[in-house]
Amino acid sequence: MKYLTLILKNIRRNPLRTLLTAMGTMMLVCVVTLIWSVLSFLDRQTSEKSQNLKLIVTERWQLPSQMPLSYADILSKGAPREPNDLTIADRDSMTWQFFGGSTEEDPRNRSPDSILFAFALEPPKLATMMDELDELGGSVAAEFQRVVDKLAANRQGLVVGQSRLDLLKQKVGGRLTLFSLNYPGIKLDLEIVGTFPPGRYDLSAAIHRDYLSSAMDQYERETGRRHPMIDRTLNLVWLRVKDRQEMAQVAQQIESSPQFRNPQVKVETASSGIAAFLEAYRTLIWGMRWLLMPAIITVLAVIIANAISISVRERRTELAVLKVLGFRPNQLLCLVVMEALAIGVSAGLSSALATYLLINLGFGGVTFPIAFFSKFFIPWEAVVLGTIVGAGTALAGSVVPAWSARSVKVSEVFAKVA
Amino acid sequence: MPQANIVRVVNVHKYFRRGSERIDVLNGLSLEVAQADFLALMGPSGSGKTTLLNLIAGLDRPSEGQVIVGTDVISSMSETQLATWRTRNIGFIFQFYHLIPVLTAFENVELPLLLLPLNAAQRRQQVQTALQLVGLSDRMSHRPGQLSGGQQQRVGIARAIVTDPTLIVADEPTGDLDAKSAGEILDLLVELGTTLRKTIVMVTHDPRAAQRAHRVQHLDKGLLVDKPAMAYEHA
Ligand SMILES: Nc1ncnc2c1ncn2[C@@H]1O[C@H](COP(=O)(O)OP(=O)(O)OP(=O)(O)O)[C@@H](O)[C@H]1O
Ligand SMILES: [Mg+2]
Repeated sequence: MKYLTLILKNIRRNPLRTLLTAMGTMMLVCVVTLIWSVLSFLDRQTSEKSQNLKLIVTERWQLPSQMPLSYADILSKGAPREPNDLTIADRDSMTWQFFGGSTEEDPRNRSPDSILFAFALEPPKLATMMDELDELGGSVAAEFQRVVDKLAANRQGLVVGQSRLDLLKQKVGGRLTLFSLNYPGIKLDLEIVGTFPPGRYDLSAAIHRDYLSSAMDQYERETGRRHPMIDRTLNLVWLRVKDRQEMAQVAQQIESSPQFRNPQVKVETASSGIAAFLEAYRTLIWGMRWLLMPAIITVLAVIIANAISISVRERRTELAVLKVLGFRPNQLLCLVVMEALAIGVSAGLSSALATYLLINLGFGGVTFPIAFFSKFFIPWEAVVLGTIVGAGTALAGSVVPAWSARSVKVSEVFAKVA
Repeated sequence: MPQANIVRVVNVHKYFRRGSERIDVLNGLSLEVAQADFLALMGPSGSGKTTLLNLIAGLDRPSEGQVIVGTDVISSMSETQLATWRTRNIGFIFQFYHLIPVLTAFENVELPLLLLPLNAAQRRQQVQTALQLVGLSDRMSHRPGQLSGGQQQRVGIARAIVTDPTLIVADEPTGDLDAKSAGEILDLLVELGTTLRKTIVMVTHDPRAAQRAHRVQHLDKGLLVDKPAMAYEHA
């Protein structure tokens, strides 16, 4: 027998209490893990990188942002005017035109599954500028590059996420016609040339921006008047810069340029955009971080403290016997703390790990129904955190009972105090 | 017969405080116990027998006076020093056995050995020897709940002797047993004295138990007395 055996046997002595304590710990650790993951996710989204920043250029005053396509080329270069001005390289820019359409022509037959939102863009930019797709590696990158090349070669191509493809009940190689929701009278005949790599873009779609432009031209030819949206088809321009200094310079170049007077434009980073969006939820997030999390952790410590004190109180005589046998006060303290730790660590670890596996593998991540946000996964650090929370609360909760175990007075326990 | 005194209690006072009240339990008591002696302590309830035993066993420290066991002045050791000292020098036998219910007989006896620098094989060897001595080799994997009172007390004795201590102290070791089991336990204690030359100090209310000891000392109001003050024995 070793100390560990003694600890384990002590834990097993009241299986129901141990089980209930462990279950309470697991549930609360699960909640803590989730909240922490969400908070750290938001933090990551809003904290600025200092290298390889992406800037977003949008219409200054309106939501949704709508700009004339004529802005595209100058904005893509970063609007250089002076010889010393910075010029953005072609691969470091991307234009976005949102195209929403349904496979059903008749609005009455349209269901969410028949609707597709696509980014109309220059195909090569899919692999060089889209978040995460610009960081693919190995065979996934090569595979996706082939898809991008097909879109570049086929003006009527459509790249779509696998989940969206399934919703459309379509396959790669299939064809579909989209009747536009935001461009009245425009319809696109598309051929599915490939899918996005699994993950963030499972529900997204991308089309060739030239096809949208030519569809607008064709509308003008057929109807004899310009399409009402013609001056408002450019929604976003993305620019990549090296660092903050370049970012400031490019922002200055664009915002001071006389070319963008009507409408005016503004330059932001993705994180500042999201930060502005999250501003509305500031109190909520603050509350989650500084009230909810500490409250849960405190409750957890109290639950453990409660269970451990009961078990220490029940075993006062036994602890006194151990003292008689020669166990030193600190050894008894350790014994009790280790019991709590064993429960806390195993419950914390298993709960966090289960949360991690369930969310990430079971559900394949959680989709945030909020603009810009990528799919949300539990980071592996959360598993470490969950274990630490389990251990920390066990430690905190067992301090007082362990101290009382340490200071059990043998003469008092065995004296028949009259 | 007995040679050097293994236990020397010198003019010991012990009082407890309960609030502002001071309870004097031992009042300048002195006592000597020789090597391999078997001493029975008797006395009315509340006379301080357990208190005295606790001082001798290093479970508590006197308010005044000295307690010396072997060459160690245990009355001036710290609590932690005493704990380590107890492991090697004291075997304690309780009235209510006080075995750990979740551990087997073997593990209960092994418990004090965990505190010594022994490997598993050495521990196993010593536990088996101790259990053999008390005649429970066939009950090693039983839990206390699966043993009779007499058997539990024998496990308790095995636990007390497994570290080969200098001194065995027993507080009413037969107080919870029927006459037959009590007789067996006393036989065992006597045998420990004769064959292993263990020094034994036993508190008892039972005159028949006291008879088996070499020597009986009576305690009354915190002092040793020559004769029992009154007939307090309840057999
Ligand atoms: N830790 C303590 N705190 C306060 N009073 C105590 C303590 N230990 C013992 N006493 C008191 O000291 C007195 C002697 O107690 P002790 O247990 O030594 O008696 P005893 O002779 O063993 O009695 P019994 O035969 O009933 O076991 C009692 O009055 C008891 O209440
Ligand atoms: Mg007593």
